[in-house]
Amino acid sequence: MKYAQLIRLLVARELTIRYKRSVIGIGWTLLNPMLTSFVLWVVFSFVFASRLPGTQQYAPYLMAGILLMTFFNQGVISSAESIASNGPVLTKIYVPPQIFPISTALAGLVNFFIGLIPLTIVCLISGQSIALTMPLVFIVGICLALLTAGIGLTLSILYIRFDDTRNIVNVLLMILMYFTPVFYPITILSQRLQEIIAYNPLTSYLDVFRWAFSNNATATLNDWLYMGTTSLISILIGTYVFKKYWPRTVAML
Amino acid sequence: MPVIELKNVNVTYRVLMNKSGSMKELFRDFLKRKARVVDYVALQDISFTVEAGEVVAILGRNGAGKSTLLKVLAGVLPPTKGTSKVKGKIAPMIELGAGFHLEMTGAENVIFYSALMGRDVKHVKERTPAIGEWAGVSDHMDFPLRTFSSGMVARLAFATATDEKADVLLVDEVLSVGDADFQNKSKARMHEMIKSGAAVVLVSHDMLAVRELATRAIWLEAGHVKMIGNPAEVVAAYEAT
Repeated sequence: MKYAQLIRLLVARELTIRYKRSVIGIGWTLLNPMLTSFVLWVVFSFVFASRLPGTQQYAPYLMAGILLMTFFNQGVISSAESIASNGPVLTKIYVPPQIFPISTALAGLVNFFIGLIPLTIVCLISGQSIALTMPLVFIVGICLALLTAGIGLTLSILYIRFDDTRNIVNVLLMILMYFTPVFYPITILSQRLQEIIAYNPLTSYLDVFRWAFSNNATATLNDWLYMGTTSLISILIGTYVFKKYWPRTVAML
Repeated sequence: MPVIELKNVNVTYRVLMNKSGSMKELFRDFLKRKARVVDYVALQDISFTVEAGEVVAILGRNGAGKSTLLKVLAGVLPPTKGTSKVKGKIAPMIELGAGFHLEMTGAENVIFYSALMGRDVKHVKERTPAIGEWAGVSDHMDFPLRTFSSGMVARLAFATATDEKADVLLVDEVLSVGDADFQNKSKARMHEMIKSGAAVVLVSHDMLAVRELATRAIWLEAGHVKMIGNPAEVVAAYEAT
């Protein structure tokens, strides 16, 4: 593919640019989820740790949730932003504009995979072993990348058309975060709330991820199906919306 | 065989009256039935062809549609009506350095900018030292771009954009890059590219340059072609208004 080289450069730029002026550079990619998890662990472990069923451990449970949510949140925000921030280029040089949101989602995927290293360490420290199903995490990552890219493509059009989209999106992402069992075990909720939270696709992504990585949750066939279909629907809608509205949107850049 | 072929190109921007920049305002205006969509015609029925080796200058006042026309030629903005065909490699020299990033080094920027223009990264990597040297910034190539002066950035961008042969050059007032020395150097390089058979579309307010370089001139006014033909005649007519 003609633009494979450009995508690779964009992903590399996305991964390194944020930490360009820092001493440990890309090492922050490893440290960030660990520090965030540690803080939340200190705060919540008293409340939630004993509520997990069986041999499930709270520290890796929490960290897996944070890794996945960071991937989703940052992926959505930065891929939605990518078109607007690359506007000066897009109005001068012809490149398929979809490359920018997609590269951003891919960078999120790479970050996610790097994050599996500290997650492994935390797992082992807390006395939990890595499951044999671990390679399946790869599928979770791909699905989540498709989901974020799809949402990002749709939002990137809205970001240009309406200034206040980003504020609305930020609030929605925060609400979504609380409706995903990131730092609490789903079993502490009432039956009614559990049903509502099960409708959230991210719950399925997270269940599958935790189950596949270290058997730290239960995932059903339905979770797999829900994950697969939502990711496909998202990318299909995203590419469709983008294609349809891009010609009119580029005039606004 | 024309390299550039425009047939009845129309570009219309949809503009919302009252300029609702936010969803909130749009919703409010919609409720009050104040939101109206107005079509703003930026280009109207533009047709022309450019052969290889021709230099076509586009004249016109601000807002006449020159930038829009360049965007259509660059393939960035699809025409609302009509067709625009451009064959071969395009080197857009419009606001040079638009793809540059301040935190990346000079060399990284050269590679990235070239990849944006669809060039082969491997080949560019070999060329990078030569590009830096031509731009006169060799000893800065490994430093972040934010340490460059604005003249250095412009020179590096010009050197990168013109490093490979292109079939179509889109030029927007870039001949005024850098000091006198570099201007001569860049003019020479432009002439070289024109001689090698590239088609050039040039937007300029510099009538002297137009007379000197162009083989044909197009005068745009309010989105349509007012006059097209011999540069000396078009420039004279344009300057008379």
